[in-house]
Amino acid sequence: MKESKEVPRRSLLTWVSSVALFGSAVISALANFVFLKPRATYGAPSRFSIGRPEEFPPGSRIAIEQRRICVAREGNQVAVISTTCTHLGCIVAVSDTGFSCPCHGSRYDQDGNVTGGPAPKPLPWYQVKLAPNGELEVDTSVEIKPGTYYTV
Amino acid sequence: MSAVHDKISNDTSLSSVLRQLPRNLWSSVFRHPLPSSELGQAQTSFSNFFLHIHPVKVNRHTLKPTYTLGLGLMSFFLFVILTVTGVLLMFYYVPSTDQAYDRMLDLRGSVAFGTFLRNMHRWAAHGMVIVVFLHMCRVFFTGSYKKPREFNWVIGVLLLLLTLFSSFTGYLLPWDQLAFWAITVGATIATYAPFIGQKIQFLLLGDNVVGQEALLRFYVLHVVVLPLLMSLLIAIHFWRIRKDGGLSRPPEAEVAPGASEIAVKLVSPPAGKQSFGFMGLVRGPFVKVGNVPDNTVFSWPHLLTAELFVFVITLAAVLVVSLLFHAPLEEPVNALHPPNPAKAPWYFLGLQELVSYSAFWGGVGIPALEVLLLLLVPYLDRSPHGVGRWFAKERLLANTLFLTFALFNVGLIVIGTLFRGPNWEFVTPW
Repeated sequence: MKESKEVPRRSLLTWVSSVALFGSAVISALANFVFLKPRATYGAPSRFSIGRPEEFPPGSRIAIEQRRICVAREGNQVAVISTTCTHLGCIVAVSDTGFSCPCHGSRYDQDGNVTGGPAPKPLPWYQVKLAPNGELEVDTSVEIKPGTYYTV
Repeated sequence: MSAVHDKISNDTSLSSVLRQLPRNLWSSVFRHPLPSSELGQAQTSFSNFFLHIHPVKVNRHTLKPTYTLGLGLMSFFLFVILTVTGVLLMFYYVPSTDQAYDRMLDLRGSVAFGTFLRNMHRWAAHGMVIVVFLHMCRVFFTGSYKKPREFNWVIGVLLLLLTLFSSFTGYLLPWDQLAFWAITVGATIATYAPFIGQKIQFLLLGDNVVGQEALLRFYVLHVVVLPLLMSLLIAIHFWRIRKDGGLSRPPEAEVAPGASEIAVKLVSPPAGKQSFGFMGLVRGPFVKVGNVPDNTVFSWPHLLTAELFVFVITLAAVLVVSLLFHAPLEEPVNALHPPNPAKAPWYFLGLQELVSYSAFWGGVGIPALEVLLLLLVPYLDRSPHGVGRWFAKERLLANTLFLTFALFNVGLIVIGTLFRGPNWEFVTPW
């Protein structure tokens, strides 16, 4: 009676080795995705300099298309807003009322809040800081709370 | 006959060997002469590598053009045409953002048949998306996914997804405005998936935006990974057709009209005394014990001529379309100036149309639900009735549901393709 409740050694070994074998196969397969995920990208860097604060006069909103950002300055406060449409990734144009997307007609106000069209969420704001060399440095990998300005 | 043969092969003098060389070469490659008897017809299908995928005999119902419309074969032949033209195009293509577009111009300007091969590849690809979809509709409306063909339906759904993904990855390779923005839009639809969307896009593009990394990744997927996966699944798809008893057909197609049924009594051997020949282990109706009157014809030549016919039709259609219409090539990529409207490839315009209403439902919710439902079709509909006939009455509900599903998707694609203009506003194409 007591013997029947015990797991026979052979089937226990079968189970353990199967799990080990199958587990290593799964882990090896998943490791491929680690390989496929680039650690460094060769395209545009996420952190870059956009020039000295004087290049952005108070009250200006200047789009830097290559970087897909818009630099807005009010008084001595600077903000960097993404110009990649949150709908399907087109580049939004700076307009009088804010931003408008040429692809599918999404419209945003000056702070990047959606005012019309299919865009699902507001344009993100990126971190901007003065670098030690006196130039403004933008980090598009760090999104900050919209409405947070950096004082220069 | 065999005595003559022995005499010839035993004569090993040089002149005799040389005289027999062509014949020996031929007979070493082809084991059987062109069949002149039923035994020969059977042996030909059985012993030839390229023909052994066929059953020796095939039910007459399978050969009815109005039943299958040849759509499955057409999908396969389009895949073959795409493979051949694709390999040829690879000889002149470089997956680099600096060179890809120029190579497209070279195909047009300085490569013999370059334009024509690109046209063939492009139109066969669009054709394959359409034909694979129609094949799925045929299988549904004839109830062919039912037991024991459930798993082959699942493989078919996976093949449909791989077809779409292959077409999508190929769309980027010309590196023109159409390609760049279609992929930008298409890849952004993926980011609407909660939690993992952004990660999937990054993994797919190798970067945050469509660029060199994305071009290389799409190229590798398009020319190696996806075709290999598809070849494997196609092989399983075909294998399962045989193992599931050939193409689906109604029960009355099993017996030739007019033949009287002979009851075959199966006697179970006493326990411990079972013995099986190989044939006894084979499932399906093709292995007959004794002379049961069936409704089959030999695959050679009946099935083969039918296949050849479909192949010729398919190839002819691709050739004619490629002669009449050129594959589009727009201006080279300008990452700063999206076209208005920017559209995904046409088969994803249904999704893009949905995304314009609701980001989550269009980008993730509805497509995921649709794929899940498609995969589960044979496991949800367990009724065994109405197999092997178009629009069987017993399947009115199932067919109506599927027709609604198909028309819903086609309708969205038509709206997205023809009725959406600048700013994604409603326009009329005329």
